[in-house]
Amino acid sequence: MPSIAKPPIRHPALPVNELGLAERDYEGAMSTLCAGCGHDAVTAAIVRALWEVAVPPHMVVKLSGIGCSAKTTAYFLRGAHGFNGVHGRMAPLATGVGAANSDLLLIGISGDGDSLSIGIGHLVHLIRRNLRMIYVIENNGVYGLTKGQLSASADVGSTSSKGTPGVIQPVDPMLLGLSLGATFLARGFSGDKAQLVPILKAATAHRGLALIDVISPCVSFNDHEGSTKSYRFTREHDVQVTTTDFVEPRPELLTAIGPVGITDLTLHDGTRVRARALPEGYDPGDRDAVGAYLREAHDRGEVATGILYVDPSRPTLHELLRVVPRPLAGLPYADLCPGAAELERFGES
Amino acid sequence: MTATPWAEEAAATRAPQVNELALRIATVNGTGSSSANNLLMRAIFRMGIPVSGKNIFPSNIQGLPTWYEIRVSGAGHTARARNPDLLVAMNTQTRERDVAAVRPGGCVLWDSTSPLERAGERGDVTLLGIPIARMCAEEFHNPRERILLQNVVYAGAVTALLGIDPAVTATLIDERYRRRPRLGEANRRAFRIGEEYARQHFPCPLPCHVEPMQATGGSIIVDGNTATALGCIYAGATVAAWYPITPSTSVMDAFTAFARRSRRDPMTGLSTCMIVQAEDELASIGTVIGAGWAGARAFTATSGPGLSLMQALLGLAYYTEIPAVVFDVQRAGPSTGMPTRTQQADLLAAAHASHGDTAHILLFPGDPAECFDFAVRAFDLAEHFQTPVLVLSDTDIGMNDWVVPRLRWDDTYAPDRGRVLGAAEVEAAGEYHRYADADADGVAARTLPGVSPAAAYYTRGSGHNRLAGYTEDPDEYREVVDRLARKHAAAGGWVPEPVIEARPGASVGLVTLGSGGPAVREAVEMLRAQGVAADCMRLRGYPFPEAVFRFLEGHAFCFVVEQNRDAQLRTLLLESGAGSERLGSVLLYGGEPITAGEVSDAVLVQLRRREE
Amino acid sequence: MPPTDTTNPDWYHRVVDCQWACPAHTDVPQYIRLIGQGRYADAYLLNRETNVFPGVLGRTCDRPCEPACRRSRVDGTAVAICRLKRVAADLRGELAGRLPRAPERRNGKRVACVGAGPASLSVASDLLPLGYEVVIHERHPLPGGLMRTSIPAFRLPEAVLDEEIRFILDMGAEVRYGSPVASLRRLLAEGYDAVFIGSGAPRGKDLDLPGRAEGGRIHIGLDWLQSVAFGHVTGIGERVLVIGVGNTAMDCCRTARRLGGTDVKVVARRPRAFFKASDWELEDAEEEGIDILTELAPRRFVVEGGRLLGVEFDRLAWDEGARASTVMGSELLPCDDVILAVGQEAAFPWIERDLGVELGRWDLPVVDRTTLQSTLPGVFFGGDAAFGPLNIIWAVEHGHQAAISIDNHCRGVGVDERPAPRVGLRSMDMGLAQWSYHNEYNPSKRQRMEHVAMVRRFAALSVEVELGFAPEQSAREVGRCLNCDIQTVLVPELCIECDACIDVCPVRCLTITAGADEPELRGRLSAPTLHPDEPLFVSTPLPQTGRVMVKDEDLCVHCGLCAERCPTAAWRMERLELSLPRAGGVWSPDPGSAGAGTDPAAHAAAPLPGVAQR
Repeated sequence: MPSIAKPPIRHPALPVNELGLAERDYEGAMSTLCAGCGHDAVTAAIVRALWEVAVPPHMVVKLSGIGCSAKTTAYFLRGAHGFNGVHGRMAPLATGVGAANSDLLLIGISGDGDSLSIGIGHLVHLIRRNLRMIYVIENNGVYGLTKGQLSASADVGSTSSKGTPGVIQPVDPMLLGLSLGATFLARGFSGDKAQLVPILKAATAHRGLALIDVISPCVSFNDHEGSTKSYRFTREHDVQVTTTDFVEPRPELLTAIGPVGITDLTLHDGTRVRARALPEGYDPGDRDAVGAYLREAHDRGEVATGILYVDPSRPTLHELLRVVPRPLAGLPYADLCPGAAELERFGES
Repeated sequence: MTATPWAEEAAATRAPQVNELALRIATVNGTGSSSANNLLMRAIFRMGIPVSGKNIFPSNIQGLPTWYEIRVSGAGHTARARNPDLLVAMNTQTRERDVAAVRPGGCVLWDSTSPLERAGERGDVTLLGIPIARMCAEEFHNPRERILLQNVVYAGAVTALLGIDPAVTATLIDERYRRRPRLGEANRRAFRIGEEYARQHFPCPLPCHVEPMQATGGSIIVDGNTATALGCIYAGATVAAWYPITPSTSVMDAFTAFARRSRRDPMTGLSTCMIVQAEDELASIGTVIGAGWAGARAFTATSGPGLSLMQALLGLAYYTEIPAVVFDVQRAGPSTGMPTRTQQADLLAAAHASHGDTAHILLFPGDPAECFDFAVRAFDLAEHFQTPVLVLSDTDIGMNDWVVPRLRWDDTYAPDRGRVLGAAEVEAAGEYHRYADADADGVAARTLPGVSPAAAYYTRGSGHNRLAGYTEDPDEYREVVDRLARKHAAAGGWVPEPVIEARPGASVGLVTLGSGGPAVREAVEMLRAQGVAADCMRLRGYPFPEAVFRFLEGHAFCFVVEQNRDAQLRTLLLESGAGSERLGSVLLYGGEPITAGEVSDAVLVQLRRREE
Repeated sequence: MPPTDTTNPDWYHRVVDCQWACPAHTDVPQYIRLIGQGRYADAYLLNRETNVFPGVLGRTCDRPCEPACRRSRVDGTAVAICRLKRVAADLRGELAGRLPRAPERRNGKRVACVGAGPASLSVASDLLPLGYEVVIHERHPLPGGLMRTSIPAFRLPEAVLDEEIRFILDMGAEVRYGSPVASLRRLLAEGYDAVFIGSGAPRGKDLDLPGRAEGGRIHIGLDWLQSVAFGHVTGIGERVLVIGVGNTAMDCCRTARRLGGTDVKVVARRPRAFFKASDWELEDAEEEGIDILTELAPRRFVVEGGRLLGVEFDRLAWDEGARASTVMGSELLPCDDVILAVGQEAAFPWIERDLGVELGRWDLPVVDRTTLQSTLPGVFFGGDAAFGPLNIIWAVEHGHQAAISIDNHCRGVGVDERPAPRVGLRSMDMGLAQWSYHNEYNPSKRQRMEHVAMVRRFAALSVEVELGFAPEQSAREVGRCLNCDIQTVLVPELCIECDACIDVCPVRCLTITAGADEPELRGRLSAPTLHPDEPLFVSTPLPQTGRVMVKDEDLCVHCGLCAERCPTAAWRMERLELSLPRAGGVWSPDPGSAGAGTDPAAHAAAPLPGVAQR
C-alpha cells in the first residue's frame, strides 16, 4: 500500500554499529502489508536486534513460507539473501541451507498457518533436529491473505472478524516445543519492542533452534473486540515471566542455567544475555515447571511472554550428526572426491 | 501354461547348453536365501561367464514368495530369461506355478523331505529331489540355522549340477565368513552336503551347465543404487536428505556407508557431508533445494509416491532456478502399487513434476554403470542449468545385480558448478540482479549467500521479473517463463545422447530406455532370426537430443518399448515433436523385469497385424 | 513533560523553520511548490505579499531562512531558497493586473516617509492600497536607498530594482527626489497624519588610527560604493586593501576588482569562523581572486607626503572563542587604496532634540520593537534607521509592521491593538496513501549557481555574475524542499500503539514511551537528540497503555509515511496556513492562486471519515 519508498536518508542523528552500519542498512524493501500490521513491528524489531548485535547482513539468510508473515523477509536486511518458498515448507529449506553453510545465521519467519497447520510436521522435526536458527512465528490467529479464517492458534471462544468463535483447541507452539525438547522458547508481542528486541538478540546468541512465538495482531481481520490476538487483549493480558538484559562482557563464560530464575546466554564476543524471571519461583531451566506454568497461565487467560525456556546444553544438528563445523558448500572438490585409485578398489573381479 | 511360439522353438532345439541357461530359485522371503543365491551368481561371474541376477520379491518381510533368477549367457544377454532351465523349488506355495514355467526338458530341484504333491503333471521336466530339510535337521541343532542353511545346501547342489567350480565357491564362502569362522564352518558343511548329495545321486553336470570363459575381465557386479551412491560421492555431494522408501532406500544406505569411509575430515574425524533422514519427502526435497540454493551439491533418492509428494517444491526449484538432484528408483504404481516390483511409469510425472508449466531435465540410466556416470552428470547439469534434474532408474536396475564394466574415474574431472558469481565479480559489476543476464542457453548467473552484501537477492516462488522482484505484470512474467522454456530446450544438447545400434536397411526401430535395454537388444537378434531387420535406440536423457528424432525419422516404423500401461515415453516423444503415425508401442508393465521374448513376440504380432 | 499545546499559533509555525526564521515570514515551502508546478507568477505574488521585492531579494537577501532550513540537517546543505525566489521573479512574465492598486477615492490621510529605501517603500506598498496619500522624501535623485547605493550592479541589475520599485510607486506615491530632510520639525509642520523614518544607516564608520589625518586614498566603504553607484567614481589603484569582512566589504572588494584593482586583499581581525559576511559572499569574492587575510588588526596608515604607501597591521593570536587576542608581531601591507568597511551607523543630525523623539544609545531612536513607534506618537522608524544596520528583509518587515501602526494611528486605534496572526490546518489527504503534495524524498545535492566566465565578468560593472538556475536545476532544487509546512498532526485518541509509524519513520523521530520529564524523555528517544533547544512534541496519554507519543520535530522530513502507515488515521498530514497581520486586516494566502493545494484535485478530495478539517 505504500505510495513511496522509504526515503534513503542517512540522517546524521542516526548512529552506526561497530560495523559502521546504520540501522537503516538492516532494512529491506517497503512493506506491502496492511498499515498497522503487527508483522511490520516484528520486522522493525529484527532490524533493530541484528543491527545492535552487528551481524554482517550478508551472513544472514532470511527464509519464509507463504502468507503475510512470509512476505516480511523482503522487508528487512536487503543485504542478505532471502528465500520465500512454499507454504509450510520453510523448515526443510532452512535445514538445507543450514546443512550447506553452517556459518550463516538463519532467520525464518513463519505464521501460525504456515507453522501450526500445513507445516507443523516440519516444525516438529526441526525442533527435534535443533538446527541453529532463529524461528519466528508471527502469530495472529488468522489467515490474513485469504481474508480472515481462524487458524490453528485461535483460542476457543476467540471470534473471527465475521463473529464466528473458535471451537477447536488451539496449538500453543511453546508447549509443543517444550514437549519436543526445544532448547530456546520465547514469546513476545509485536507491540512491545522493549521486550522483543532483547529476546531476538538473545536468540542470535543461541546455538540451536530459537523458537520465538510473537503475538502479532492482524489489524485488518483480528484486531476487534472478541479476539484474543488483538492489540488491546494482548496488552491487557500480557504477563512478562522473564525480562531480558544484555550484560557487559565478563571474563568467565556462563552458559548453563545459573541461579534459579536467571539464565545466561553467552554471545560470541563474550557479551551475555540474561533472562531474569519475574514471577517468584519461575525457572526457565525447569522444563516440567515451565510446562505447568504455561498451561495454567493459558487457562487464566494470560499471555505469558519473555524467554520462557532455555536449555543451552543440547547439541545442535551438526554436532548430533558429527559434521564438520565448516560450510559444506565451500569445501574444495579435491577434498571430497576419493579419486580414481580408490574407485579401482571398488567391486570384485 | 500357454506355450509361446518362441518357447516351443526353444524346446525343440535341444542344443548343447553350455553357458546359456537360466536358473530360477523360488523361496519364501525371510528365510535368508539371498546370500546363497548371491554366492551362485558370483561364482559363475568369477568363472568369467556373463551373468545377471534378478531378485523378484514381495513388499513384505517374512513368509511371502520370492524368486531369484540367474541368467547365464556367454553371448552376453543379461535380460531376464522367460523360462528357467533349472528350477530350485523351495516354496511349496508356488511350486505348481514355478514348475509350470520351466522350459520343456528342464530340471526341477526340490526338497524331497516332504512328498511332491502337485509337480508331477509335467512330463517334460526332470525332477531332482534332495531331502534338504531332513539333512539340515540331522546336521544342525539350532532351529534358525536349520532353516538358513537349507539355502546353502541347495547352493551346493546347484554348484554340482551346473558344473560351477567348487574352488570358486569355497573362496567366496571363505571371503564372506572370514570374520565369523563358526558360521563359515557351518556354511561349508551345508554346502558340502548339498554338493555331495547331488554328485552321488544325479549325473553332474547337467546338459545345461557352465564352463569357464574369459568374458568378465574388467567387469564388476554391482546394483544400480550402490552405483548411484558412489556417483554422488564422486560428484562431491555434501548434503543428502531422504525418507525411506522402497526401492530407493539402498541408495542412501550405500551413500551412508561410502561417506563413513571416504568423507572424513582428516583433522577432526568429522563428516564432510550431512545426511538428513527427513520426516517425509517434502522435507527431503526441501532440504535438498535449500542446500542447493546455498551452494552445496545435494540430492535425494525416492520412488513414485515420494516423487508425488515433492511436486510443489520441485516446481519451486524449477521456477526459482535452484539445482537439485533427485534419484527416482521407479516402482510399479499407481498409488502404493507394487512397491518391490519394477516399472517405468513415473516418466510423465517426473518430466512435468509440479503444477503450472513445469518441465524438468531427466536422465535414464540403463544399468548400474550409467547410474554411476549419470549421478555425476546429474549434478553437473543441475548446477549448469540451475534446475532440478531427475534421474529415473527402476527396481530392476536399482536393486538387482548387474555385471557391468569396472567403474572408471577421470581424476581431471572438474565439477560444472554453472554460473556462480563470487564476491569480487559481483562487487566489480556494481549491480547484481538474479535473472538479468541470461546467456545463450537462458542461464543467468546466481550468487550464494554469505558471499557479499552486493550479491544479495530475494528468491521467491511467486511471480518475479528478471530483476527477481515481485511482479504480476504479464510481459515481465512471460519474459521469465519463456526463458525457462528456452533453457529447458537447450538442455537437450547437454543430456546424454541415445545409444543407437543400427544396421543399413533396417526399417523397424525399437526404442526403449533404462532397464529395457538388454531385452530389446536381445529381441533385435530374435527378430533377425525371424527375418525382421530392426535397429534399436535406448534413450538416456530428456529433453530429447536431435539424434532421437533423426532415428525416428529414419525408420518406417518404430516401437517404443516401455514398462508402463499408458505409453508414457511415447507420449513424451509425441509431445516433443515426433510423428504419431509411425510410432507404435510395446507396453510391458506386469512389474517384473522384461524379457526379450516378450518384446519380439509383441513386435512380430504387431508387424503381422500391420501387414494385414 | 506536559502535553504540547498545538493550538498555540507558534507551535506549527516554528516547525516551518525557513518561514519562522524569515523576518517577513515568507511562505517559503508553498512558493517553492508553486515554482515546482511552473506557476511562477503565483509564486512571485505569494512572495511579494511578504517580502515586497522578490527580484531584489532573490539576488541579495541575507537569507536567514537558509541556515534555518531543515534540509541542511539531513544532507548538510540548505535548499537554495533565495535562488528559487529569483527563479520565480525571472520567469514570472507579465503580472497583468494582478498587482494591488490604490483605490480611486483616497482616505484623506497623508503619510510622510523619509528615505526611499526598502522600509519606506514597504510602508508605501501597504498603505497606498488602503487609500493613503504617501509622500516620500529622498535625498538622492533615484529611489531604492541602500539597495541602489551599496549593492553593486553586478549583483543586482538596475532594471530589476527599478521595476519592483515602480510596482509600488505606480500606485500613486509622491516622491520628492533630491530633497533631503533637513529638519524633522519642519516636516512635522507640513501636517502629515504620520511620519515614517526609513532613512537607513548611511554613515560608514571611520578608523581613527595614526596616519588617518595625513591624507592619501583612504575611502569609507559605503560612501565609496554610493559614489560608484552614481558614477562619481570610475577607477581605483591596482593594489587595494579592504579592511573589514562583512558583506559590505565583499561588495567593496569585488567592485574594486572591476574598477581596476588587480591585487585586492580583504583584511580581517578575527579568524574565518567568526566572519560576519555570508559564506556565499566570501566564496564569490575568492572565486574572483581576492585574498582574504585573517587575524590582522590595523595599527596605522603609512602615508608619506600625502601619499598612501600601505597599512601596518598587528598580527594577532586569538583564544578559542576568538574573544581575546595577543599581538604576535606586525606586518606591513603595501597598497594604493584602502577601503574601510568596518561598519555603519545611523545619523540623525536633522532630528531636533526637543521634538519629543528621544534618541538613545549610539544616537539611535528609542523605538518600540513591535509597533515601531518612537517616543513621539505618530512618528515611526523602520529599517536600519530604527535599530542600526540589519538587512533588506528586516527593513521590509519593519515596513509592514509600521504600516499597521500608522493605519491604527490614523484611524484612532491604539498602535498596540494589532491583529493576531491566524493559523489554519488543511488536510493533504487524497485517499489511501495519496497526498496532494509530492512527498518523495529527492536525494539531489544543492544545485550550483552558474556564474559568468571570469573574462566577461570584469568587462563592465553591470555584468551580473549569477546566471540564475536552469530549468532542470530549478526542478531539482524544488524537489529538495522537505515541505516542512505539511505538518504531522496526531489525534491521540485514535492511536492503537501498533508502532507502524515508529517503525516506518526513516529518521526515527517518533517514540512511544511512558510520560516523563524532558531530560528523561530525551534520553529515551529512538534517535539521540542533536539539538536540545528544538522542542519535542508530546501527546496526551494514549488510550491503550497511557504512554505518550513523542516526536522530535528536529528530525522530521515530512515524508508522510507515519500517516500513510497509520491504520486508524491517528496521524494526519495537514498544511499549515499562516495568515499574517497586515495594515487593514489579516492577509491570507489565497487558496485559489497560491493556496494549499499543489494539485487542484486536492480541493475536491473529501477527508477520510473521522478526519475533521481544522
